[in-house]
Amino acid sequence: MSEEKPKVRIFSTPTCPYCVALKNHLKEHNVEFEDIDVAQDLVAQKEMIERSGQYGVPVADINGEIIIGFNQERINQLLGIK
Amino acid sequence: MIYDLIIIGGGPAGITAGIYAARKKLKTLLITKEWGGQITKAVDIENWPGTKKISGIDLIQQMTGHLKQFEIEIKEGKEVIDLDRRKENFIIRDNDQEYESKSVIIATGKVPRLLNIPGENEFKGKGVSICSTCDAPMFKDKDVAVAGGGNAGFNVALDMIKYAKKVYILEFFPETKGDPITKDKLAQSGIVEFITNVSIKEIKGTKFVESLIYEDRKTGKDFEINVAGVFISIGMMPKVGFAQKLIDLNKIGEVIIDKDNNTKTPGVFAAGDITDIKYEQIVIACGEGAKAVLAATDYLKNKA
Repeated sequence: MSEEKPKVRIFSTPTCPYCVALKNHLKEHNVEFEDIDVAQDLVAQKEMIERSGQYGVPVADINGEIIIGFNQERINQLLGIK
Repeated sequence: MIYDLIIIGGGPAGITAGIYAARKKLKTLLITKEWGGQITKAVDIENWPGTKKISGIDLIQQMTGHLKQFEIEIKEGKEVIDLDRRKENFIIRDNDQEYESKSVIIATGKVPRLLNIPGENEFKGKGVSICSTCDAPMFKDKDVAVAGGGNAGFNVALDMIKYAKKVYILEFFPETKGDPITKDKLAQSGIVEFITNVSIKEIKGTKFVESLIYEDRKTGKDFEINVAGVFISIGMMPKVGFAQKLIDLNKIGEVIIDKDNNTKTPGVFAAGDITDIKYEQIVIACGEGAKAVLAATDYLKNKA
C-alpha cells in the first residue's frame, strides 16, 4: 500500500440515519473525507445516481470505487481500518 | 445440546431478553437476521430514560455491545423459518441448522408491509423507497407517488412536498385515514393530489422508476401516472409466519399474548412489537423482553 491518503467522498443527506453513522465511523478512525450533501448539490446528486445506479444514500466513493450504503466491512477493507 | 431458552429477534425486546437470560444463567441462544429493525430508522430518540437524545443506530449499538459482554451464544445473519414441537421441547430451524430448546421467546418485530406487485422489488432503491427521511431530497422537482393515505403516508408526503414537483397520494379505500389537519396542510401546498379507492398494480421503468399503474376500484379502469419515485407507506407487518403452528394471531397478524407474555403454547413466549400489546415504543419493547424472560424462568423452574 502506498502512503498516499485515500480519496474519500461521501454522498449523503442531512436526515438519513445511516449517513450520520457512516460519517461518524470515518471520523472515529480519523479518515478525512469530502462531505457532499446531495440534498443541496444537485450536480453531485446526478453524479451519485449515475455512478451508483440507484437513489439510496449514503454512497461512498473511495479511490473511485463506489460503495452503496453503510457497508462497514468493505469500507474498512478499502481504508485499512481494523 | 438442548438450550434452556432460544430468543428469536435482535431488536430492543430480543436484546433485553438476552441480557436478562444471561444474568439468570439460562443456557441461551439468540438468533437474529440483523441488529435492530425499525429502530435503525429513528433519527433522534428523545424518550429513552437516562439519555437525552440518541440516534436509533447508536442506541442499538449500545444495546448490542451490552448484550455481548455476557456469555450468551448468538447467531447473526440467520432467519428462522420454522418453529415446532418435539416431545416437550421445541425445534427451531434456520436455513442451515436446527436447534432444540426447552423454551422460546419470539421477538421478531415488524417490517414495512409491501405492495407485492411487479416492479416493486426490481426498482427498490431505484425509485421505490420505504424511507422518505432518507430519500426525499433525491426527488427534487420530480413527480412522486405515495402508496398509503394513513398518517404514515401523510408524513411521507409532508417530507416530499419540500422537494417534489408533484405528490400523488394513493389510497386503497374510498377515504384517506390520516388526520384531517395534516390533509389540509398537504392540500394547501397545491402540489398534492389525493387519489382514493384505487389499487396499485405495477411499477414500471427501465433503469429507474418511470411510471405507476393503478386500477380504479369502482370502474375497474387502469390509469398510468408518470412518477420517478414510489414511497410505500401501507403500514407495518408482524414477522411471524415461521411460528404459526404454535401461536394464535389477532386479525392484523400480531401474536396474542397474556399479561405475562405467554402465547397459547406453554413454553413459547412473545415480546415487543410482534405482539398484540397496543403501544409500540422502544422502552415498552425492552420491558416486555425482560418480562418474557422472567416468565420463561418461572416456566423452566416449574417444569424441572
